[in-house]
Amino acid sequence: MRNFEHITPPDLESAVDLLSERGTKSIAGGTDLLPEMKSRLRSPRRLVNLKALEELRYLKHNARKGFQIGALTTLAEIESNELIREKIPILAQAASVAASPQLRNMGTIGGNLCQSVRCWYYRAPEFKCWLKGGDTCYAIEGENKFHAILESSPCCAVHPSDLAPALMALGASVHITGTDEEGTVSLEEFFVRPKASNRQMTILGANELITEVQVPMLDGDSSGIYLKAMDRKVWAFALVSVAVQVSWDKERVKGARIVLGGVAPIPWRVPAAEEIVRDQAITEEIATSASEAALEGAQPLRDNGYKIALAKALVKRALMTLAERAKK
Amino acid sequence: MKKFSGTEPKAQHKGASDGATAVQERETTKLVGQSIPRVDAIDKVLGKTQYPGDLSRPDMVFMKVLLARRPHARIKKIDSSATLATPGVMAVFTASDVPCNEYGLIEPDQPVLCGDVVRYIGDKVALVIAQNEHAAIIGRERLVVDYEDLPAITDPRRALDSSALILHAAKKTNLLAQRRIRKGNIESGFTKADVIVESEYVTPHQEHAYLQPEAGLAYLDEQGRVVIETAAQWSHDDRHQIAHALGLPQDQVRVIYTYGGGAFGGKEDVSIQIVLALAAWKLRKPVKLIWDRDESIIGHHKRHPYIIKAKWGATRDGKLTAIQMDLLSDAGAYASSSREVLNNATAMCTGPYECENVWVDSRAVYTNNPTCGAFRGFGAPQVEFAAEMQMNKLAEALDMDSVELRKKNLWRNGSIQATGAPVPEPVGVIKVLEAAARAAAWPVKKSSSKRLETKKRGFGVACGFKNVGYGFGFDEKCTVTLELHGRSEIEKVVVRAGASDAGQGAHTILTQFVADALDVPLEKIQLVTGDTSEADPVGSCSASRLAFMLGQAVRGAAELAKEKWRTQSERPVKATYRFKPRPTTPLDPETGRGDPAISYCYAAQIAEVEVDTATGQVTVLKLISAHDVGKAVNPQQLIGQIEGGAAQGLGWATVEHFVMKDGFVMTPNFTLYLIPTVLDVPEIMNTVVLEDPDPQGPQGARGVGEMGLIPAAPALVAAVHDATGVWFDQLPLTPERVLKGLQSVP
Ligand SMILES: Cc1cc2nc3c(=O)[nH]c(=O)nc-3n(C[C@H](O)[C@H](O)[C@H](O)COP(=O)(O)OP(=O)(O)OC[C@H]3O[C@@H](n4cnc5c(N)ncnc54)[C@H](O)[C@@H]3O)c2cc1C
Repeated sequence: MRNFEHITPPDLESAVDLLSERGTKSIAGGTDLLPEMKSRLRSPRRLVNLKALEELRYLKHNARKGFQIGALTTLAEIESNELIREKIPILAQAASVAASPQLRNMGTIGGNLCQSVRCWYYRAPEFKCWLKGGDTCYAIEGENKFHAILESSPCCAVHPSDLAPALMALGASVHITGTDEEGTVSLEEFFVRPKASNRQMTILGANELITEVQVPMLDGDSSGIYLKAMDRKVWAFALVSVAVQVSWDKERVKGARIVLGGVAPIPWRVPAAEEIVRDQAITEEIATSASEAALEGAQPLRDNGYKIALAKALVKRALMTLAERAKK
Repeated sequence: MKKFSGTEPKAQHKGASDGATAVQERETTKLVGQSIPRVDAIDKVLGKTQYPGDLSRPDMVFMKVLLARRPHARIKKIDSSATLATPGVMAVFTASDVPCNEYGLIEPDQPVLCGDVVRYIGDKVALVIAQNEHAAIIGRERLVVDYEDLPAITDPRRALDSSALILHAAKKTNLLAQRRIRKGNIESGFTKADVIVESEYVTPHQEHAYLQPEAGLAYLDEQGRVVIETAAQWSHDDRHQIAHALGLPQDQVRVIYTYGGGAFGGKEDVSIQIVLALAAWKLRKPVKLIWDRDESIIGHHKRHPYIIKAKWGATRDGKLTAIQMDLLSDAGAYASSSREVLNNATAMCTGPYECENVWVDSRAVYTNNPTCGAFRGFGAPQVEFAAEMQMNKLAEALDMDSVELRKKNLWRNGSIQATGAPVPEPVGVIKVLEAAARAAAWPVKKSSSKRLETKKRGFGVACGFKNVGYGFGFDEKCTVTLELHGRSEIEKVVVRAGASDAGQGAHTILTQFVADALDVPLEKIQLVTGDTSEADPVGSCSASRLAFMLGQAVRGAAELAKEKWRTQSERPVKATYRFKPRPTTPLDPETGRGDPAISYCYAAQIAEVEVDTATGQVTVLKLISAHDVGKAVNPQQLIGQIEGGAAQGLGWATVEHFVMKDGFVMTPNFTLYLIPTVLDVPEIMNTVVLEDPDPQGPQGARGVGEMGLIPAAPALVAAVHDATGVWFDQLPLTPERVLKGLQSVP
């Protein structure tokens, strides 16, 4: 790691101001940024320490606005918060299967949404891949068992967050604060496929911060589930994950939001599948055709064709499990 | 034969403690056979133990090694001017600074620092020494090496192509070693067969993944000798290799081992020892080095990947008639112990089975992949995976129970090995299989889990065996000196034995043997194990050998010492004994005839798995291991070795996916290279220990360090087959592979 300056700003405004200078990065829990700095993927000259900004560490809930979660809230706090477990358990589930307990004690929700991809070419200093400003996505032609089966060009890395699909299924938004502006965008707007002019998976500018994650009030009768398939039992990134949040009218689906992780460069909402379950009672047949619709158009690379079967299985399992519970 | 159960099958919970209590209850004043606490436990728990990374000296400086990080290239120029201009940097060393620029465990074919060519990503190119670690890192970044990339051989199947570039010009070929076995008449063996099973198996690289990455401290002592403090597996051989490279007489080099955080074979080769010694010698200053995890993963050798073509024939009633095996091993860039691993693989690829007609061709080839060498099992896990898979497939083809089929063919007293030598007796493999089968209530009826239809359960069995000691004609020896202090009564015993304890407990076992042999209490025993200038050479901590050899050397030394104590008045009494096990012989290059092993240890394992056919995830619910250990010297440690080995074997079979691409390691850290967590290890591990004494071993003991790992993979794969009907011939069984495999069946 190269030497850097570590600044603890007095307040949010100065934090954002400091970020305007080149070579400056914000640091929250540091669980993603510090490993990146150690392996020279990033060498910021200055770090702006967000941890001291108590104004970003809160978790509020009210019947009108739903949840407002300060960006510094840790994954451990989310996982164990009673209100979250009761009202939006899908988020607690997603947090509880992310990383390891130690990492969840340090890692924040803001950092989790802004973390870098886990593509092994991106992470290896030996490869100057497209996402790092190079010309080639090595994974497209190379080792790609962990990579995208949808929208896999120009970069086929997948966004690694477990929280993002769950939050997207909840219809969440993030509040962003910059030097001159601030505003709220939905997660569907926040995550963007990387392009040559913006080689990252979010719209966030260098001098902007997420200050808050907002989860709107859910319909009266709503239930959700987060399923994650991994290469081992715990402490691994998702091969594929699925977040499903359904609002019910008795045993019929009023509306559903279905989001896949690990299949595309960004968390992938699948409206075609949502459409299939709308106004239906979920049967095995419906669940199967929704799972097929969810993967429509998937184009696997050499090693990741298994993700199609895996994602379908998870979508189906998620829907069937929710339907089962709705009957009780 | 005595027998006790690590965990009684009905008790069904984890842990060694039950086994330990079972034995402690025996009435004995002898310590061998008891689960005495580890002699190193208290200090380790209190954090007092110094591991190599903890060492320091006033005045010490830091080193970083520049690794090649490219698979094959010619070095055109190294420019170190910017490095030397970096504040804090004291020196840069390159190939021309090494007096005799070669080393290797068996054959010195590896440059200490590469001067002209780099042959794999872990090759060392230059050393940067600085006042502090940070300056060394910055200095290393500023080294400019001008390379000309060369075509890399990364597929062992292509290494012998006529178009393949030769890695070591002097050798004129990339063939590092080849072996053969020609026994009986293979053609007529297949003619007699009613069924023939033919398959190709692929086993992967495996990373040792020890807790403690390579680290050490080197300095000059008051006598001007260069001292290297580290922790590895064979201090006296390290000393030999360091002295050779530095062009120093052996007595000018001292290697001192601290306790180590794991080794598993990965610290049998020299890694950082020579470069540390070189820097300290040149600068006449203490030099410290700690490898990062990715340097460790890239820089030290791996388990050999093997590609194994197997063709086995059997009669309708289940007698093996022919075994034909073709083994191809990826040795990587340097020899390390590839030849010796190939010896083992060749001699053991028939499994512990009788067969009159055996034909084996085996080769180890150089490639530009990471160098491969010793890893728990030393070739046995790879070939026995293939052998046990063949047996399970034959059982299926013959519609015969797989335990029954094995019993018809397993070695027994009087059996002849594929190499023509009789199997060292007593041969306990049928007994361990029967014990495992009993513990599992074999044959087990499948009870599909009711929770989800997609979850399917199955059971699988495999046997395993492993030689104790080096074998194949290697001049094996183990020397121990005992010093008895006191006048009429022994007040203190000093034990001089250069035995490395990588965490497996060699020092505790050594203490137990000494206490019993001299009839002294533990408190009177003082071990001198770490320092090559003070401890006798015992050989490596590897090959399931150390307890076996130490026990016998202690027995010999104790007899001499007691005799002197009685007959001489001089105090202290000093007695040195060199134990040499019975000689073995190398395999004949044409026929493979030979007597390869002093002795074998045996195990059988039965796995119960649940396969989620929707997600491809395999969960091992239960693992029963039955082992014939000859004598359980310390049952608690023994069960720890068996369960730990089994967990490592299950890891190799499921989560440990070492991915290589064009000579690069895609998995250089534990975020990408997964190893089992406690949740990946079966909830239930039943370990059944049999004690059928080996007349050659100390109080009947055989070896046990490697055995737990060996049958785990084939038992697991057989269980997955039982659950799903699909055979998986390539390890590891990641969800990706399992799903692909399941899709291929209707
Ligand atoms: C071994 C390992 C395993 C992991 N496994 C998983 C997993 O299974 N699932 C999963 O979801 N995650 C996983 N993670 C990622 C982990 O959850 C994230 O590292 C963590 O949530 C990031 O939070 P942080 O506060 O530590 O971020 P930091 O490391 O401090 O920051 C990460 C990035 O976000 C930026 N940032 C931080 N806060 C803000 C903000 N408020 N506004 C704008 N930008 C910000 C930083 O500038 C930096 O670029 C794993 C990480 C590791 C190291």
